[in-house]
Amino acid sequence: MELIDQLFVLLKQAILKTSESFLPPVFLPFLSILISITAIALFAPLTMMYLTWLERKVIARMQNRFGPNRVGIYGLLQPIADGIKMLTKEDVVPLGADRVVHFLAPVAVVVPSLLLFSVLPFGRGMTAVNLDIGLLFFIAVSSIGTLAIFMGGWASRNKFSLLGAMRALAQMISYEVPLVLSVVPVVMMTGTLSTQKIVEAQAGWRGFHWYLFTPWGVVGFLIFFICSVSEVNRTPFDIPEGESEIVAGFHTEYSGMKFALFYMAEFLGAFAYSALGATLFLGGWQGPLLPSWLWFGLKTFFLVFVMIWLRGTFPRLRVDQLMSYAWKFLLPMALVNILAAGIWHYLSFPLSLIVSASVLLIGFIALSRLAPTGTRLEKRVYRYAE
Amino acid sequence: MLFFYLLATLTVLGALGATLMKNLIHCALCLILFFLGIATFYILLGAEFIAAVQILIYVGAVATLVLFAIMLTQNVVGETTLKGLGQNRWWALGLTAAVIGILGSAIHHQRFSAASYAGRLTTQEIGQALVVVYALPFEVVSLLLTGAMIGAIVIAMEDRKKKQ
Repeated sequence: MELIDQLFVLLKQAILKTSESFLPPVFLPFLSILISITAIALFAPLTMMYLTWLERKVIARMQNRFGPNRVGIYGLLQPIADGIKMLTKEDVVPLGADRVVHFLAPVAVVVPSLLLFSVLPFGRGMTAVNLDIGLLFFIAVSSIGTLAIFMGGWASRNKFSLLGAMRALAQMISYEVPLVLSVVPVVMMTGTLSTQKIVEAQAGWRGFHWYLFTPWGVVGFLIFFICSVSEVNRTPFDIPEGESEIVAGFHTEYSGMKFALFYMAEFLGAFAYSALGATLFLGGWQGPLLPSWLWFGLKTFFLVFVMIWLRGTFPRLRVDQLMSYAWKFLLPMALVNILAAGIWHYLSFPLSLIVSASVLLIGFIALSRLAPTGTRLEKRVYRYAE
Repeated sequence: MLFFYLLATLTVLGALGATLMKNLIHCALCLILFFLGIATFYILLGAEFIAAVQILIYVGAVATLVLFAIMLTQNVVGETTLKGLGQNRWWALGLTAAVIGILGSAIHHQRFSAASYAGRLTTQEIGQALVVVYALPFEVVSLLLTGAMIGAIVIAMEDRKKKQ
């Protein structure tokens, strides 16, 4: 049991042990870092490839189709075929494009989403870089990707790309605020920003002491999940690339492997955010019986599945609906949630549950009643800003 | 050491690009490069928290707002953007020299002891310092920000009376 649980950790130690005999000791820390980097660099693209397969398969089943089933059994080799196709495609750069920025954007979008993987606790003792500020690092690095999307959209010199880029900027800066506020209760409870320590704080109750099972945990998780779907531009929040309105948004003018890199960043982001959600609210690798990395994988893939499910279910939101939802509902709700978490912390058990749950309920009802509904489509007149 | 000079060159290039380039968007992108460079310096100094906050606030929010502001202005790519600077050049040079002089003398007179570098601050200590020792400045800053926010809302307020 212990062996299976620590399989990957032991594997790394074994590699380090064997290389001790022929490598000078100065290089050993570098080798250790190199092994972690290699593991992530192999794992991330592989996951991304099979996430595309999973998404196509699941969406197809939801729409009563078969999905990819020609290449390999169950279409399992389809991602590889797609990869080869992407690599051999012609790379088209628009004549008016800003060539340097146009070239840099796909690179700049993938690097942050790979960096996200470095702080995720994949299992007991399986965090590549156990940073003291892991959570903050994750949020900070994920905000760089937005700028890369903007670079791509702007450098293409295409109206639709520019509109998509602008939408992406507006959407991500709006949803980042409730996203950050929704993880604040977790930090308040654990008193740490390290992802590994947050998971360790959820030990107990036979591995089911997840923050999801507290009132503030449920609300925080829902806000976090909605915001993370929006942060990675997935349906129903995919207005930056809404096909029916602006062709393909910021990646209209990208083809071949450059397009694939944008696609890759989106899937890596979806996986990383699901993994973070599992870490913060679903107890990370905590769980009974199964090895820790399997629990982590199961939870993460369940959240990824829910993201795909949402895509198969909901229509796309309108821009103004998207904005008012973030600013008028999610943001105040996240603040109410912080209050509820504080109450939970300072009261003893039965009272804390009752009071914090009722605070959340009152906040929810008040916000959903008070929020203005419907939009007036007319020119706004400003008092001071004309 | 080599690493330091590499990063320093990149950061200075970013800063120069932000001021000298003709295309406003290129300027903003160079500014982002500069911000990222500064963040790496914080990491080199062992201040990971500050580095993360630097990226989160300057790259994630400020740079995005700068880009947004540029998108809402006219003549983004125009060659006209640099024309206005001509007659103000000497004023700008004087001001810059004054700022460099003041900052330089301040740094020159400050004695950095080895002890002030050795301490590796944890996030917890920073938090304690913010809400216990420096609680008053912290609150004053939040008051200032609230004031700014109310001002922004007032400016963007809809004129209901005029419409009727």
